[in-house]
Amino acid sequence: MTAPPFTWRGFRAGLVGGMILVPGVTLYGTAFGMMAQAAGLSVFEAVFMSAWMNAGGAQMATLQAWADPVPLFAVCLTTLAMNARYLLLGAALRPWFGGLPPHKSYTSLFVMGDQNWAMSLREHAEGRRDAAFLAGSGALLSLLWISATGVGHLFGQVLGNPKTFGVDFMLAAFFITMAAAFVRRLHDIAPLVVGLVVAVIVEKLIAGPWYILAGALAGSFVGALRYKPGGDANAG
Amino acid sequence: MRADVFVAIAILGVLSYACRFGGFFLMRYVSMTPRVEAWLRAMPIALVGAIVGPVAVNGGAPEWIGLAAAIGLMRVTGNEFVSAIGAVVLVALARAFLP
Repeated sequence: MTAPPFTWRGFRAGLVGGMILVPGVTLYGTAFGMMAQAAGLSVFEAVFMSAWMNAGGAQMATLQAWADPVPLFAVCLTTLAMNARYLLLGAALRPWFGGLPPHKSYTSLFVMGDQNWAMSLREHAEGRRDAAFLAGSGALLSLLWISATGVGHLFGQVLGNPKTFGVDFMLAAFFITMAAAFVRRLHDIAPLVVGLVVAVIVEKLIAGPWYILAGALAGSFVGALRYKPGGDANAG
Repeated sequence: MRADVFVAIAILGVLSYACRFGGFFLMRYVSMTPRVEAWLRAMPIALVGAIVGPVAVNGGAPEWIGLAAAIGLMRVTGNEFVSAIGAVVLVALARAFLP
């Protein structure tokens, strides 16, 4: 496999290209900081989480399961369920990034998110093959994500009771809009509906965050079962 | 920082990164079957449903207004952030003004 270019120029192109995502990531990170504050995380814990996990959806989902002491097994499975899609995103980069030395490819993957991944693949499709684009756009958005988390946490402290300003509803609001985006790509609403119904039932029967995992597993199995070879149920 | 929180976040970060490089790494040795791909693709959307469902069922009028507004705004604007923030603002207003 021949190595693609990986230059500072590509990195800078990523920084510039990532700029259009700045408003969205700033808002999203601020919202996460406020949610983390409402869930009882300190500002250091919230910022550490954003820096070390760097995965917005999974971070928000684990907050829903968060408690004191931390239910370790449940938050781990929630993170795996939300981040399982990264397996696909990473796999799709193999033909392009496969020729890079591992220290470049694996470092780039650390800052891979849904949006800069999609943007990088678009670059590639348009013939710009510099693989540092992913790292450049990812570095920008990660730094922004981390700092916005801190700012959001401080906002949360100033606002006081999270219920008054609907902060406790933010997760549901972000996730329902995320669902709308996912469904548009999947053309299949069945996993969402099954996950929702199973979670509602399990939540009534079993105390704790297990309903999240039960719904995620049940819904995703339905997605796998509905796959038909040659059908378009799962056209991505 | 509390010890259990630190350990939890440390592990969650390792798991997140494992998902990021796992697919890239494995593609060197195996190829993904379409059914496994469909399963992984459906996972986050099912998780989203699982989180939103109980919020809707356990919530009252403000939460229902918020969820309906999020879906409606998403259809009209197509922008995730505008829709989410708009829904949150509506929930806060509904809580302040509804009896």
